Amino acid sequence: MADFVVGDITLDIDEDGFIQQPEAWNEAIAKALAKTEGVDELTEAHWKVVNYLRDYYLEFGIAPMIRKLCKSTGFKLKEIYELFPSGPAKGACKVAGLPKPTGCV
Amino acid sequence: MFADFSRGDDCLFEINQKDQQPLPPPFDDIDEEPLFRRLTEEAKKKYVLLDDTIAVNIPKPETQEEEAQLVNSFLSGLRRLVSREDNWTFLEPLMISLEHCAKCQTCSEGCHIYEESGRHPYYRPSYRSEILRRIYFKYLKNSSTWVHGDIELNWKTVARLIELSYRCNLCRRCAQSCPIGVDNALLAREIRKVASQEMGIVPKELHDSGSMLQLKVGSSTGMNAIVARDNVEFIDEDTTDRTGIAVETPWDKEGADILLIHNAGEIMAWPENPGGFALLFSAAGLSWTMSSDLAAYDGINYGVWYDDFQFARTALLHLEAARKLKVKKIVIGECGHAHKALSVIADKVVTGDLNIPRESGINVLRDIVREGRVKFDKSRNDFPVTLHDPCNLVRLMGIVSPQREIIEAIVPKERFREMEPHGVENYCCGGGSGFAIMSGHNFAHWRHHVSGRRKLRQVLEAFQGEVMDMEHPKYVCAPCSNCKGQLRDIIAYYDAWERAGIYYGGLVELMVNAMVDAQPGYIDWEWH
Repeated sequence: MADFVVGDITLDIDEDGFIQQPEAWNEAIAKALAKTEGVDELTEAHWKVVNYLRDYYLEFGIAPMIRKLCKSTGFKLKEIYELFPSGPAKGACKVAGLPKPTGCV
Repeated sequence: MFADFSRGDDCLFEINQKDQQPLPPPFDDIDEEPLFRRLTEEAKKKYVLLDDTIAVNIPKPETQEEEAQLVNSFLSGLRRLVSREDNWTFLEPLMISLEHCAKCQTCSEGCHIYEESGRHPYYRPSYRSEILRRIYFKYLKNSSTWVHGDIELNWKTVARLIELSYRCNLCRRCAQSCPIGVDNALLAREIRKVASQEMGIVPKELHDSGSMLQLKVGSSTGMNAIVARDNVEFIDEDTTDRTGIAVETPWDKEGADILLIHNAGEIMAWPENPGGFALLFSAAGLSWTMSSDLAAYDGINYGVWYDDFQFARTALLHLEAARKLKVKKIVIGECGHAHKALSVIADKVVTGDLNIPRESGINVLRDIVREGRVKFDKSRNDFPVTLHDPCNLVRLMGIVSPQREIIEAIVPKERFREMEPHGVENYCCGGGSGFAIMSGHNFAHWRHHVSGRRKLRQVLEAFQGEVMDMEHPKYVCAPCSNCKGQLRDIIAYYDAWERAGIYYGGLVELMVNAMVDAQPGYIDWEWH
């Protein structure tokens, strides 16, 4: 576990770079996490994905199915990979401050 | 080599990419391969080191008491391991493998990890076993080290041995090649078992966010029953849209013939798979249901990889759900480890009316094809197809011909090519025994450069002669969630879709793609 510092907030991140306190997430943290994923600027398209993931997580306590994410945001999977090169689970979920997906996914 | 294992703080060796055999075209230039990412200095300071990656995260002990604790708890676990009262589940095969080895090294030739690592001697299946064997003879039996070989038992020996038990896919190909029947994979799992049951040392992906999460909320994906049902409803609608055939998954239907249990990872990440099952089972007129009981909608049982107690707890939940619904049998979806857990190992822990018949979904699908219950047009699958055999289906259970009988009915003969070797001689995908979901530090790199390399080699070999680009898509049929996860990751890592048109998926997806009554185009070739 390592420290991840954004402004005056210090968070724990795991070996894969996921923050361990999803409740502490905010926009500045999202931007900083995006940089660790090689995404320098979060565009409107990025936020659409991030906000959907965030809302779903707050409601159900886990990440949504990838196909639900695609259907709800209108992005094809390929486009999500273009936005987040590590993909929806390891990239987009990380930026949205979700815990690392678990199980055989 | 045995003395070094107990000494020094550093990695004992590193993977040198120059020692590895080049892959087939178009990946044959070893200098152009992605570079193996080394461990960070921070990780090296903190955790016990074996090679150049970390799976288990065992902190370096800070005091002599902690050092002694590692050794003593391991020895106490080992004593339990060889006692009938504490290890009635696996004692017999354990003792055969622990007390015998002809040192012929035939097993090494069977091991994809040893072979693809550049033949690193520490990765010989027999090396790990020999360390355990020497500890057993010297410290438990007080036997002569002159006869059985010497080993120094200190915290480094213990911690490295545990880490080394997570450099084996538990595929048991070595056991198959052993002339006297020694099962090195079983020994690797028994080491993991001592670490978990006696010492509380286990990769968090398998235990905390694996078994424990499944026992608590119902699935290692974190889905409780409400979310699982909601997701499956979404899949039903999606499958209906895509195929033009109305699909509705039955839930908790008492008295159905079949309780279908998927790996819930399919629901989250590969929804075409449970969607395909629902469509085919319904179209074939089978009486079936899913269960929303705790853990009964997730066939995974990570205990098969590391812990008998977690194994038994999960298996009992699966069987109790089946008993409650009064089904005739459980049918297991496309998940190799679920096959191992529920079909084979569960026999060691259940009795009486809990011993409900279990059958592979592959066999049920084969019967659908054989009985002509669904019509297929193989010309819809007019692209190159190869078949990956999940170890637990073929080597453990001997399910070899059913998937081929299905392929024969749904893929044009000239389009199908076998990997070599295949069937019971297959190679693991490289993600077996939990590795496909482990990616801490640089462990994913180790999977892609070492344990998964033989499978990538086989896939590329199977498709040689084809035009290797994205315009010519090729399908690796892998009827197992875990294998799909590993294939997805390694295909992405080597850009094998962009560079060679290599795509992957399950078996039912290929069936629905050829189903006459369904709209064409179930496989969408969208990269994921």
